Parts: sequence; structure tokens; C-alpha cells
Amino acid sequence: MSHSWSRPLRTAVGAAAAFVSLAVLAACGGAAQAPAEGTKAHPVTVTFWAWTKGSQQVADEFNATHDTIKVKFEEIPSGGLGGYPKIANAIKAGIAPDVLSIEYPSLAQFVSQGSLKDLSSYMTPAVKKEFLPQTIQLTTMGGRNWAVPSDASPQIFYYRKDFFTRHHIALPKTWAQFRTAAQQVKKAAPGTRIATFFPDDPTFFQTMAWGAGASWFTTKNGAWQVDTTDAATRKTAAYWQGLIDAGLVSTAPSYSPEWTASLKAGTTVGYLGASWGAGTLAGIVPEEKGKWAAMQMPSWDAAHPSVGMSQGSTFAVSKNSTKTAAAMKFILWMSTSPDSVRARLSASTSTALPAAPALVPVARKAIDTSFYGGQDLYGLYEKAGATIDPDWLWGPTAAANNTLRDQLHGVVGGSTTLPRAITITQSATVAALRGSGLKVEDAS
Amino acid sequence: MTTPLIVDPADQRAPGTGRAGRGGRATVPAGRPGGNRWLSRGAVNGLLAIAAAYTLFPLVWLVTAATKDAGNILGGNVFSFEGFDLGHNLSTLASYDGGIYFRWYGNSLIYAGLGALGCSLVSVAAGYAFDKYRFRGKEKLFAVVLLGVLLPSTALSLPLYLLAVKTHTVNTYWSVLIPVLVNPFGVYLSRIFSAGYIPDEALEAARIDGAGEMRVFWSIGLRMVMPGFVTVFLFQFTAIWNNFFLPLVMLSDKNLYPLSLGLYNWHSNANATPDFYPMVVSGSLLAVLPLIVAFITLQRHWKAGLTAGSVK
Amino acid sequence: MSTDTGTDTTSTTGGPGAPTAARGAAGPRRPARRGPQRTGLAAGLLLTPFFALFTVAMLIPVGYAIWLSLFTQKLSGLGFEGPRNVFDGLGNYVDTLGDSAFRHGFWVLGGYVLFYIPIMVGGALALALLLDTAIARARRFFQLALFLPHAIPGLIAALIWVYLYTPGLSPVVSAMHSGGIGLDFFSANGALPSVVNIALWEWLGYNVVIFYASLQAVDRSLLEAAAVDGAGNWRLAFGIKLPLIRASVFLVLLFTIIGSLQLFTEPLLLSNTGSSITSAWTPNMYAYSEAFQLNDYGRAAAASVLIALIAAVLSFGVTRIANRKGARA
Repeated sequence: MSHSWSRPLRTAVGAAAAFVSLAVLAACGGAAQAPAEGTKAHPVTVTFWAWTKGSQQVADEFNATHDTIKVKFEEIPSGGLGGYPKIANAIKAGIAPDVLSIEYPSLAQFVSQGSLKDLSSYMTPAVKKEFLPQTIQLTTMGGRNWAVPSDASPQIFYYRKDFFTRHHIALPKTWAQFRTAAQQVKKAAPGTRIATFFPDDPTFFQTMAWGAGASWFTTKNGAWQVDTTDAATRKTAAYWQGLIDAGLVSTAPSYSPEWTASLKAGTTVGYLGASWGAGTLAGIVPEEKGKWAAMQMPSWDAAHPSVGMSQGSTFAVSKNSTKTAAAMKFILWMSTSPDSVRARLSASTSTALPAAPALVPVARKAIDTSFYGGQDLYGLYEKAGATIDPDWLWGPTAAANNTLRDQLHGVVGGSTTLPRAITITQSATVAALRGSGLKVEDAS
Repeated sequence: MTTPLIVDPADQRAPGTGRAGRGGRATVPAGRPGGNRWLSRGAVNGLLAIAAAYTLFPLVWLVTAATKDAGNILGGNVFSFEGFDLGHNLSTLASYDGGIYFRWYGNSLIYAGLGALGCSLVSVAAGYAFDKYRFRGKEKLFAVVLLGVLLPSTALSLPLYLLAVKTHTVNTYWSVLIPVLVNPFGVYLSRIFSAGYIPDEALEAARIDGAGEMRVFWSIGLRMVMPGFVTVFLFQFTAIWNNFFLPLVMLSDKNLYPLSLGLYNWHSNANATPDFYPMVVSGSLLAVLPLIVAFITLQRHWKAGLTAGSVK
Repeated sequence: MSTDTGTDTTSTTGGPGAPTAARGAAGPRRPARRGPQRTGLAAGLLLTPFFALFTVAMLIPVGYAIWLSLFTQKLSGLGFEGPRNVFDGLGNYVDTLGDSAFRHGFWVLGGYVLFYIPIMVGGALALALLLDTAIARARRFFQLALFLPHAIPGLIAALIWVYLYTPGLSPVVSAMHSGGIGLDFFSANGALPSVVNIALWEWLGYNVVIFYASLQAVDRSLLEAAAVDGAGNWRLAFGIKLPLIRASVFLVLLFTIIGSLQLFTEPLLLSNTGSSITSAWTPNMYAYSEAFQLNDYGRAAAASVLIALIAAVLSFGVTRIANRKGARA
């Protein structure tokens, strides 16, 4: 924002610019509004909002290597903690930046509010081929591309290798084995649990259902199909309800002081996370260096491992943007250039798995895995990435997550159960979608 | 939740004119020590001590926790002298993100200082007018002011936000500053103070000397009602310093954050990055110090303010 | 600043800017306190800043909220084209009142008030009466010690208590745990007491100081006479002092109720820590989540208007009762 302009002048200029861009739009029949690139003297400036550590460095690196497009980065609070409301409000107010960072679970909400630009014309087959196919699928709705994947985040199980070895507990490949291992852990050291069922984060359970083959949302014939109680989800619900009832998992909130304290005390010896979680974990308990290891998340069928994706982020262009072409240049550079990965990792220890497989070696080289005894994390991540179930789509309303979150409080509190929670989620989600005017088919 | 007390204006009485307004105590009736076996001296003071322990304990925790590193805070052994890390905590606080903590501190001082100053001036002027002048519909108008006291401020935040978006003031200093300039309770309080502290004779004398009404207010009324001014100022200062909802809604540029919002952000980050815990804790400690100091040194004023509102 | 604004802002209530001539007609209700100068102008000037701000920061937002509450946003198909703003009459009110989450918020609030008010008012009264007995020591220290939490911003108070509630982090929880008490402050049953405790901690001392000040203002000769008659501290406290400070008690009650309706910061912080507090636990949280999580401004505005309305009705009720009792006293 310029402070040198007086407000009326700025408004006038803004109105004029809008008028001109409208005229241009009308003239060329809805093509890109501003040129993809400016000149050295007058570069196109793209604004960019994100909260991921290292984003500033990425923008700096882009600016250092490009002179016809410049990026202006602003850090915002992370999505769930105020970032998304901020984006939604800015879009409503018409003041949103060009490029937005949005996590997969929230993408459809922005799409269904008409907040994002359709990027299909930029996502040519050649471009799509650069990404892990599942991540392209997750950003495609109604046959159109709405975002560019940044990272893929297959589920990963992190565990205290020293503990498992000392107590001769076999590493669980399936969920049945996981339950056995959970019992052994509890027996080996009273008060100790194999892992945590995060009750505050509904996407934890959803990702588990996803890995089991669930598919809550799909678009068909111009309508949203909702089914939060399909067979895979019911199986997942019954399984986790069993673990919670038997007290085999802890139910501390995700990344809460309680959870952190239990990791430090060694009373939680596993973490059901995702690729990016390795860096987080190492940052939380640096003193347990060398004691942890990572493995593929257990699955229902050992012969056909399948996982979901926990969070993970994409880049999208807001509907307020008048510089889609320039924005897309920047976004594709961020998602596919080695320079971008190096710049991000210069300021961050995140072990995110780039959605573009060609970048994995860059990340592998930059990340120190001594916390995991030098394990080849990225080799594991690539393998896990290939097992991501492609049939999942996140829903177009926050109501599904909000309802499930509120229900999960009751689940760990003992006042309701997971099977009941998913039924309530179904009806609340359908009601919310219908209430907002969307076309919905209730599949349950 | 910083709504102070009001009474029906008919009940108004001058603060500080009775014993109530003073910190010290006048003669205490000699209760008969022999007559209260059920409530011995020890029991009375013991109960008070327990209550004080309850109120002071979390503060003691805050002070000791501020001296600990993340490991020791999370380990729960806050009361030991192990892992004494205060200096390091403070230097992290000062250096993190280019010293943004002190920028927040400055913002809070700006919001609270300017906001409280403006609010007290505006309130005292209005309170003075309500007290010293007669005009048609005065009491009805005053009732409207009192109704404003009853409005939950959080209910106003959403429309204020949307209005700020419309006027392009969202995410600016103004968006937080302007709404806190209004406190109907300040007007109410000022009216009472004006009645208590400004004798009509003083104004009359000035008028006879030929002073205009504005001059009378500015050089006599305002001077005489200074204790009330300070009370309103303190009230509003605390209210703004405490304010969380409005900045949460209005501000997205972290350079504009007040302390409460900045600390909230850090607290949210602390989940994934425990290094933030010591920063949140020591940051909180520094944030409450000025208020504690203000309340200890200005005891007489806030007590007068509370008393003014409640004593019948 | 012109006086026009003065008349303008107050015209709705036939206000202070009314011309001087009209004032004479109103007639003096009290003995004249000032000379008959052109004081209408002065009053207008002095009131203008406040009422200008009052209009901008309170009246217009209230009006705007009511306006907003009449509209709703409708999507269509898969929603890709964005929402349309549609006039919905009282639809948002019907939906809000019909939403069990919103109503549940009031049940929670009801439970909170039932829990909180007796403890708060009773506790503050008891402490004030203790302080007011002849045998209490170090009154200044106790007043200050009890009052100090009020100087702590609500958010920081909530932060401190969240840490003190967290297992593994809190010395209180571990002390109780080793004492065999497995109290979970975040559980479904623990949530309400946890929030009550935070509010109690913040406001107890504040109310003690108010009650104590009122007690100090009680006519000492009354108490001396009673003491001479042989009344003990107990009789003095409950038979004589308490009825005399009834007005203060009602006012504290009133503001505690209004404050309760605004309950937001403390439960919001607790809900983030994964306690059993849901996103719409209190009516205010409901409005916040509708506006900023679900982007339903119409519904949020309707909820805000309803909250304000209920607050006004409740305050009015309490004030009426208080005044009636006061008149009888």
C-alpha cells in the first residue's frame, strides 16, 4: 500500500484501473488482464501471502533472479489460526493479494465461494506431468484446476526406535499390528502410549479414513456428493473408537503443551504424522536426537499399502488478482524450481515433500536427518507418496470440519462415539451445503 | 469484559467527599473480641491469606516461569532454580523478528495511551455538560448513553469490522483507536465527578469575570475535575490494554498488533515450536508490569473511581 | 467544529442542542446552577465530540448489524461462480434461533452464570466483610493482593491459567496427581469450572474492593450503636452491614451478568488447547465462528443483535429489581 497517495486519489486511480482492466477484458474476451511480464523499468508486482517458514527467502530469491516480475511477500497467521478468515475477508473486501497459500483441506471452501481464479488454461498436460498425480487430482474440482500443488504430505509414522527395540515390539505394518503394538507399549511401560489420536484436529481422523479408502466429497453432474459414513469411514471409526476405549492411545490435542510434555517425558513414543512432521518433531524434542525413526504408516492391507495426505499446501490465485499470468509464473517457479526449494530450506527445517518429484533430490540434500539416525527420509517419503489414495477430495464447507471437531471433543470426553460422530457430521454437512445454496446429493 | 460499575444517576454522589473515597480507614467500630469465638483473629486473617494466595499464585508462577527455558517450562518444574534463563529469554524477546515484541509494546502504549487520553477528554467534556447545563431532553439523552454501557462490545466488533472494510480503514491504527475513544461509562463517571468536584460557585465567579463558557470549562472545570479525569483515564487505559477481540478482528499486519494479539500469535506458534513458550511467558510478564505498577502507585485514584460508581 | 453537528447527533432524542428558547419552556427542575447565558451552544459543543464518536462507533454499527442481519449469501451449483447477496427478511433470526448450537450456547452460559455468580458475589462479599471486621490485619495489602489479577489483561490471565491447567506443564496438576486427585481441567465436566475459575480470578478482587468501599461508607455510628447493643461481628455483618450495601450487590450482579454474556476470550483460548470447549460454546463464540470461520455475516450479525437484545433485556430486568428493592430499603 502506498502511503504517499491521498485516499481519494488512490480510489480514483483504482477505479480507473478497474475500468481499464474491464475494458481490456471486454476487448480480448476474458484473456489475462495484465501482461505476464513487465519490463525491467516497470516490472509487474505480484503480492503473495503465506505463513510457511522460508517464504520470505523464496520471494527474495525470485526477486534476485527475475527482473520483469517482482514479488511482494507478506506473512500472515497460519490458516487455522486466523489466516483463512483473513484471506476470506480480504477477498470479500476486494483487497486480497494475487498469490495465496492454501492447504489442501481448505481449498474447496475457497473454490466453492468463488474466491479463486480458474487456472486450467495454465495447467497444461506438460505442466501437470511435473507433479505427483494425486496432488493434481486434489486441486481439480468440477474438471477445472484451481491451485498448483506445493508439497505432498503422505502420512508417516514416527516412533521411538530405542523404545521399540528395548521392549522387542515389532514395527506395525497393518492397523491390526498397530493395535497389538499399542498393547505391548502400554504393558512395557505403564502410563506410556504408542501414539496420539488428535481430538482437536478433525483432519487427523479424516486422513485416517482417507487412507482406508474413504471418499467424503466428489463432484458429479454439477452437484456435490457427500458421504461421510461410507464403509471405509465406518471401519476407521470403529477401529479408533476401540483404541480410545481401551486406552491404547493418548488423546492430547495436536502440538499442545500436553502433547509436547508427554514427548519430552517419553510417555508418548510415537507420532502419527506426515512427511513435513519430521522437522517439527525434531524441533520439539531436540534432546531425543538419534532415538527416533520413521516408517510407512500402517495400512489395512499390507499387500496394498494406502495412505492419506495430512495437510500439505498449494498456491492459488485470488479472484481479485489482475495479474494471473505473472502470478502463475511466480507460482510455477516456486513449485518446480530447485532454487525455490533451496531458498525455503535456508530458513526452515521443514521436511515437506515437494509435490514435483524432480525437486526431491534437492530437498534430500538440504535436510539433515541425524535426528533420525541419518535415515533416508526422502526415500521413504517418495515411496509413501506413491501410495496416496487418489480418490479423496476435501469438502466445500468448513461445516464438516467444525462439526466433526466439536463431535471429537465429545468422543474423547466419552459422551459420544466416533461412529455416531460421523453420522452427525454427514447430516450437518449436507444441511450446511444446502443452506448456502449449493447443489448437493446426500449419498448416505 | 472490562465494564465497570454504574448506578442509577439519581443515586449519584460525590466521590472522595466521604470516607469511602480514601484509601485509609476512618474509625473502626470496636468489635468485641470476646464476642466472636466463631471467628477468631486467626481465622479471619487466615481466610484472607488463603484468598490472597489464590490470587497471587498464578502471578508467582508467571514470574518464576519467565526465568525458565522451554524444556523446564514444559517439564513442569517451574519452581526450582534449575535452568535459570531469564537473561536469555529477555534477549530472545528483544531480538526475535527484528524486536517486534517492543514494537507491539509501543503499539499497545499508543493504543492505550492515546485512546485513553482522547476518551477521557471526550467523556469529561460530555459529563461536564450533562452536569452543569440544563437543556431539553437531557435525561433522555443520558439514558441513551447508559444504554450504550449495556451493549456487549464484542457484539459491535463484527459490524465495526465490516464498516472498516468499507471505509478502507481495516488493518490501520485508526481501526483500533477510534472505537476505543468511546466509553459511555466514562461519561457517566465524569458526570458524577463533575458534580462532586466542581462547585457551581467557581464557575459562576469565572463567568462574572467575563470568561466564555468554553474557557470556563477548559481552565476551571477541567482543572477541578482532574482526579476524575485520571480515574476515567485509568479505566480506559486498562480496558484498551486488555482489548483483544477488536484488534483480533481488525488487524492483520503484525506490525500494528498490540501486545495481547502478538502474544496470542506466539502462543499459537508455541504448539509447533516450543521455543515460543519462554517468549510468551516472559513477554506476558513484561506486559503486565506497567499495569501492576500503575495500579500500585495510583491506588487512590482507581479506588475513588470504583467507589464513585458503587457507593450509594 | 460547528454546532450543527451537535444538534445533528442529538436530534433523535430531542437533545442538548435544542435552541435556548425551548429551554425556558422546560422550566427549572433544580435550583439554577448557572447564569442564563447562551449555554445551549456550550453544552452542544462539549457534547459533540462524544456523540459524534458514539454515533460512529456504536449507533452506526448497531444499525449496520441490523441491516446486515436481513441479508444472506446464496451460492449455486458447485459454487464456483461466487455468492450472491439476497434479502432474507428475518430468515437469519429464524435460522439462528433454530440452530441448536446457538441455543446450546445459552445453556452453557446459564450453567456458567449459576456457577459463577453465587461464588463470585458470595466470595467477594465474604472477603469484603472479613476485611471490614475490626480484627483483620494488613487491609491494604490484602486489598491490593486480591485486586492485582484485575490488572492482568484477560488474554494473559487465560494464558497463565491454560498453562496451569495443562497436564505435564502445571505444578498444580502434578501436585494433585501425586496427591491422588486426577483432575482434568479440559474434560467435558472440567471445562465449565475451568472457565469459571479464570473469570473468578480476574474479577474477585475487583468486586471485593467495591464491596469493601461500600462497607466503609456505611455510617459508623450505626455500627457503633449496634456494637454497644451487644451485636457480634456476625450480626453486624449480616444483620446490619449487608442490607446497607444492597445497592452495590445488585450492581455487581448486573455487571457480572452483562460480563458473562460477553464470555469469549477465556473459552476461545481454552478451545484452542483442545479442551472439550467447542467452537460455538458461548453465543459470542458462535457469532465469531459464523463470521470468521463460516463466512456467514448475515447469520453472525443476527446472532450479535440477539445477544445485544438479550443483554439489554436482562440488564433492564436487573436494574428494575434493584431499583425497586432500593426504593423499599
